[in-house]
Amino acid sequence: MAQLTDLAQALVNLEKERVNAIVEDRLKRGMPPLDIVKELNEGMIEVGERFASCEYFISELMYSSHIMKEIMARLEPLFGQTDLSESGNIVVIGTVKGDIHDIGKNIVVTLLKNAGFRVIDMGVDVPAERFAEKIKETGARALGLSCLLNIAFQEMRNVVDTLKKVGIRDQVKVIIGGQPTDEKVREHIGADYYAFDAVAGVKICKDIYAQR
Amino acid sequence: MSDEIQQRFEERLARYQATIALEPTDRMIVGGTGSNYFAEVYAGYTRQEIMYDINKWMAAESKFAEDFPEIDMLRSGRIWAPIFDSVGFKLYRLPGRDLPANTDFQFVEGEWMKADEYGLLIRNPIEFLMEHRLPRVLGELKERGSARSYMAFLKGGMAYMLMAQVMRERVQNLEKKHGLPQPSQGVMLAPFDTLADGYRGLQGIMIDLFERPDKVLEACDALIPDSVNCSLMTADPLKRYPIFMPLHRGNHPFLSPKQFEAFYWPSLFKAVTLLLEAGYTVRAYLEGDWTPNWHHWNQFPKGKILCDIDNKADISRAKKEIGNNVCLAGGIPDRMFIFGTPEEIRSRVKELCETVGKDGGLILNGGCGIPYSTKPENFRAYIDATLGYGKYSDTVKPKLKKAPPPWVAKIPPPRVITPWEVKLKEFGGVTGDETLIKGIWQMLEQRAFCWLRFWDW
Repeated sequence: MAQLTDLAQALVNLEKERVNAIVEDRLKRGMPPLDIVKELNEGMIEVGERFASCEYFISELMYSSHIMKEIMARLEPLFGQTDLSESGNIVVIGTVKGDIHDIGKNIVVTLLKNAGFRVIDMGVDVPAERFAEKIKETGARALGLSCLLNIAFQEMRNVVDTLKKVGIRDQVKVIIGGQPTDEKVREHIGADYYAFDAVAGVKICKDIYAQR
Repeated sequence: MSDEIQQRFEERLARYQATIALEPTDRMIVGGTGSNYFAEVYAGYTRQEIMYDINKWMAAESKFAEDFPEIDMLRSGRIWAPIFDSVGFKLYRLPGRDLPANTDFQFVEGEWMKADEYGLLIRNPIEFLMEHRLPRVLGELKERGSARSYMAFLKGGMAYMLMAQVMRERVQNLEKKHGLPQPSQGVMLAPFDTLADGYRGLQGIMIDLFERPDKVLEACDALIPDSVNCSLMTADPLKRYPIFMPLHRGNHPFLSPKQFEAFYWPSLFKAVTLLLEAGYTVRAYLEGDWTPNWHHWNQFPKGKILCDIDNKADISRAKKEIGNNVCLAGGIPDRMFIFGTPEEIRSRVKELCETVGKDGGLILNGGCGIPYSTKPENFRAYIDATLGYGKYSDTVKPKLKKAPPPWVAKIPPPRVITPWEVKLKEFGGVTGDETLIKGIWQMLEQRAFCWLRFWDW
């Protein structure tokens, strides 16, 4: 893996003040904001890898996201219009209807964005029909369903059934995740994948898009 | 209560106490869950009806107890919604009010304490709560000083006493009519969870670990005396039942093991130790996966703690690593209750009885509860299989434990807003028996402070 820049490394080390100082210095020297973001993204990828290897935990993941969020708030007003165009393979994700928990989902969203995916975060308490509409609209090939409550199992099955009903089930792979889910739940719901954790979820999305 | 029901109650309670103490008993506890969500909905009431109508709540529990007379304890539901409405408590969305009537209640994440308020929380929790946190979490306090805000305190206090009465009626119904003990009474959060759940929120506390770690540690320690005192105030005065602790952020991988040891465990250990010294046992839900961290429970005296192991963790491994010191509950995946078959349930119960539970120290349960969507035939299979495979002895008959002696507290007395000494000075002394006046004054003051802490989560 390529050597991280000092900025990316400062982010990996969770040194917020140093990150801020280096960003200001880069801006003074005329570096385009998007190039600064690219450097930081490399740092976030490394954070994600440390999380995957259990060197970092949710605490580090959330704090690094917090640093990124503050930097992005600083840089976004400086972006040109074209800088903001979104690209990347699309993943639609949301917490299913009846459940409003989103901490795990938000962690997955962060990791997916860092990995270069274009993420459409539908939020929480999302009805099956809205998931289906978004898949149709975007042509996304990966749909992530999240829950914290086991009462959501029924609703997850409803999402899969709705995709069948509108005739798009074979166009999209359904991934489930969340505290109460496991492989047996996946089987029962009729989903394609079960993601044990956020990192597994990202890998599954990469695998989906690697398939023809 | 008839002699027969009394006897059944005492047998069940003795069996539960012996199981927690890791002492010999006659058989496995049946239906020994601390949270029987299935029992809330079994009789056909909506979640909203159970939360708002105590008569329906009691009827639902009675129906469940009648249809499943083999269970050894029953606690369903934890929220009496009218108290939340009395003050506009913002931390929950409730069925029938914000959510469809038959949906679970849900916790609302938020930052209800600002990062620069640690000092105030530590130095002056009354001011912190009254002036800062409560106006944020109690919607009825929006216009401070208005008649409506004064009425919110009054109604909230009245609802607090009503709720205590309502809970007493529920517990008495189960005890006197059905001979059923409670799985727990009284509750306490880990100090770190107090900060992480309802004060700073998860986002806030994670930032604090890196930007103000000393404050987090100081606040956790500062919370201990009040948390313990308020918990003891709601616990069983006869000390028959464990105190309940739902534990959240000790769940891997929220914190690294180093962070867990530095931030989560020390204040939790101190707080639980105080509860044990006060003569109680503790029932702790290790929510999520505690595998890297649960070994810390071996620091407590043997036979004083019951740990519920959630679905994500391996209960066999828990047995190996902590099962000689603490009693365990769990073992049956929630999805097995929901999607599985009676045969699968029977097979799983048999396996657990022959392995993890073969020498006792196990209460069969789902992941910290019995799910709402449990199929009735699966619950029946769970009971029958526990009775069939969970027998230990025909001759051992556990005895009820004697209440421990009164506790000489090693922490400051319960916090009050206006101490008796101040009031006495305002009176300019009293003409008769001071103790008659002082006792009630102090009791109301202490309960009033604990009312301020009731809204922690």
